[in-house]
Amino acid sequence: MLETEELRKVYKGTAAVDSVNLFLEKGESVGLLGPNGAGKSTTISMIASLIAPSAGDVRLNGKSVLKHPNEIRKVLGIVPQEIALYPELTAYENLKFFGRIYGLKGEALSRRVQEVLELLGLEDRQKDLVKTYSGGMKRRINIGAALLHEPEILIMDEPTVGIDPQSRSYILDTVRKLNEEKGMTVLYTSHYMEEVERLCDRVYIMDHGKVIASGTKDELKSILSGEEAILVEMDRDYPELVKELDADEAILQTIETDKGLKLIVPKGSRLLGKIFQAAERHGAQISNITVQVPTLEDVFLHLTGRKLRD
Amino acid sequence: MKSIYLHQWQRFRRAPMLVVSFFLLTVVFVFTLAGFQSDDKFTVLALVKEGSSDQAAEEWIDRLNESEGMFFDLREEEEVREMMRDGRRNFALAVGDSDYRMVVAAEDANLMRVESYTAQVFREEFRLMQAEEAGGENIREDIQSSLEDPVLTVTTETIEGAEGTFVYDNQIQTLFGMTLFFSIYTMIFSLMNVTEEKRTGTWDRLIVSPLKKSQMYIGHFLYCFTVGCAQIVVIFLLFKYGLGFDLGGNFPAILIVVGCYAFAIVALGTLLMGLVKSSQQLQAVIPIVATAMAMLGGAFWPIEIVTNNIVLFLSQGMPILYALDALKSIAIYGRGLADLAQPLSILIIFGVVCMGVGVNLMERRG
Ligand SMILES: Nc1ncnc2c1ncn2[C@@H]1O[C@H](COP(=O)(O)OP(=O)(O)OP(=O)(O)O)[C@@H](O)[C@H]1O
Ligand SMILES: [Mg+2]
Repeated sequence: MLETEELRKVYKGTAAVDSVNLFLEKGESVGLLGPNGAGKSTTISMIASLIAPSAGDVRLNGKSVLKHPNEIRKVLGIVPQEIALYPELTAYENLKFFGRIYGLKGEALSRRVQEVLELLGLEDRQKDLVKTYSGGMKRRINIGAALLHEPEILIMDEPTVGIDPQSRSYILDTVRKLNEEKGMTVLYTSHYMEEVERLCDRVYIMDHGKVIASGTKDELKSILSGEEAILVEMDRDYPELVKELDADEAILQTIETDKGLKLIVPKGSRLLGKIFQAAERHGAQISNITVQVPTLEDVFLHLTGRKLRD
Repeated sequence: MKSIYLHQWQRFRRAPMLVVSFFLLTVVFVFTLAGFQSDDKFTVLALVKEGSSDQAAEEWIDRLNESEGMFFDLREEEEVREMMRDGRRNFALAVGDSDYRMVVAAEDANLMRVESYTAQVFREEFRLMQAEEAGGENIREDIQSSLEDPVLTVTTETIEGAEGTFVYDNQIQTLFGMTLFFSIYTMIFSLMNVTEEKRTGTWDRLIVSPLKKSQMYIGHFLYCFTVGCAQIVVIFLLFKYGLGFDLGGNFPAILIVVGCYAFAIVALGTLLMGLVKSSQQLQAVIPIVATAMAMLGGAFWPIEIVTNNIVLFLSQGMPILYALDALKSIAIYGRGLADLAQPLSILIIFGVVCMGVGVNLMERRG
C-alpha cells in the first residue's frame, strides 16, 4: 500500500536518512525503532510529504507522493513528535478545527469530534483549555487531532514521550484498537522497545539514517536465538570485575547497566558459577541474578553495540 | 482559507488582550494629545513695534487672527516684556506698519510655526495690495472666496525651493498619525500567529492536510488585514461621532485608503517575518520598525514641517507617509479618490512587492 524507495535526505552534507526502503501493507501495524537522531522523524516527514527527499520517492498504491502529495494527505493522519495544538483553545475547539481543515462540516464534524473525545477518554474535559491539561492529556489530544478524518494510514512519531505509565498504556490500547477494529494501517515510531513489541507485527530498526534490520518480531529475535542475557544486580560498580568478565572468552558481551551488569552469553552455557566466583574474588555483593531470553532491545544492542536510549 | 481565517478569530476571542490594548492606547493617545484642543487656541503675545501706529498694528492682528489655529493677543509693550522676563513667554510678535519682528527671549518649539505663519500672512497681504493697485478692485474678494478657509497656513521650503502651502490641523494630524502608528503593532503582532504556528508545529499539521499553502497564508493575511482595518475604522468613527473630529465628507474614500494601508502593513509584516528567524526576534524588531516608520513618515509630527533632506528622502519609502498624505487630502483638503491615485498605487505596489519577497523568504527557509 505504502512504500519508500531508496529514500534519502541530506542536511549540510550529512545524510540524516540514507537509502531507506520500507513498506506497509494495508491493515498492518509496523514499528520504526531507533535511537535519538537515527532519522525516524525525517523519514516520516518525507512519507507525509512535509519535506522533500533529496533522492528517492514514496509511493502510495504505486503513485508517487512527490508528484501527487494530495493523494496521501487525504488518507494520512500524522501524530507529530512535539505536541502541535493551540493551547489557548479548548480540546473541543482544537479538534473541531483540525476536522474542518479535512473538509468535515456541521453535524458530521461534531459527531466525529465527540467520537474521538470518547476514544481518548477526554469527553469530560473537552471544554477546558488545552494549556490547563496534563502532559498525558495533551498527548492524547495530539493523537486525536490526527484521527478526525478517519485516516487509512496513521503515522505516529513517538506519541508517548514523557508521560505517565497510565496515559501511555491508554494510548497504546487506543492505537491497538484502531488497528484491530478499524483496520487502520499504523506506522509507529518509538525508542521504547516494549511499546513496539506490544503493538507491532513487523519492525524496522534504524540507526544513523539506515535501516539496519527488519522483519517480524520473531524474525528479529532469531538473530539472537543462539544467545541469552544474564542480568547481574550488584550493590555498586566493580570496574575490575567488569574487566575480568570482559576478558572471558565464553562471555560474548559485557554491558554495564544502572543496576549492575548485563552479560550476553551463548544459549545454554553454564556460567553462573563462574560469575559468582568472580564476584566473590572482587568482593562484589550480588543482590539478584536473572537469565533472560533476548528482547528487541538486545537485538538492537547486538546490531549497533549501543543502547536505544542513553 | 475560510477555516484558517475563522480560526484566527477564535484564537483572538480567547486572547484579545493584545489587540484591545493597542486599541485603547490609540484612543488614550489621541484623546490626550488632541481631544481637548478644539476650543483652546494657541495664543501668541503681540505688541506694537516702536514708532508704528496702533491702528495699523490692530489691522494686522485682525488679519492674523483669521486663522483658527492661533490667537494673537495684542498687549502693551511693557506688559509683554515683563511676561517674557518672568519666563512666562519665550517670544512675542512685534507688529509694525508694514513689517514685523519676532522678539525672542528663549528657544521655543512653536517659534518657527508662528514665524512662518506670520510671514505667510504678510506676504499674501502685500501681494493682494499690489494686485489691487495694479487693477481690479474686486480682486481681494475673488481671491478670498477662492481660497479655502485654512485653519493655519505655513509655507515650507522643499528641496527644490518651491513653495507649497499646507494646513496644519492638530486634531486630524494626531488622530491619523497615532491610529496608523498603533495599528502597525496590531497587524504585525497578529501576523505572528504564523511564526507561532511554525514554532509549535501546528503549521506542519496544516501542510500535511489537504489545505493548500496559499490558502493558509491568505487566511492569516486576511485576518490581520481585517483586524487592522477594523481597529483604524472604529477609532476614526469614535472620534468623528464621539468627539466631533472633522474627517471631511468622504468617508468611503477614507475606507479605501485604510484598506490600502492595511494591505501594505500586512505585507511589511510578511517581509519582516521572512527576514528574521524567530518570533522573539520579530517581537524585538516590530517596535523599532513601527517607531522609525512613524517618525520618518510623519505620524508623530507633520512631514510638511520637516526640512532635513535625509529624513525627507527616507520618508519616501514609508507606507505610512502615503497613507497619511491620502487621508489628510480627504479630510482637510476635501479631495476625492481621483486625486489619490498616486499614493494609493504606491501603497499597493509596496504591498505586493513586500508580500512576494516575504513569502518567498519564508518558504525558502522552510
Ligand atoms: N532541519 C534539519 N536541519 C539539519 N539537520 C537536521 C534537520 N532535521 C533533522 N536533522 C538531523 O538529522 C538527523 C536525524 O534526525 P531525526 O529527527 O530524523 O531523528 P529521530 O530518529 O527522529 O530522533 P529522535 O528520536 O530524537 O526524535 C539528526 O542528526 C538531526 O540532527
Ligand atoms: Mg524524532
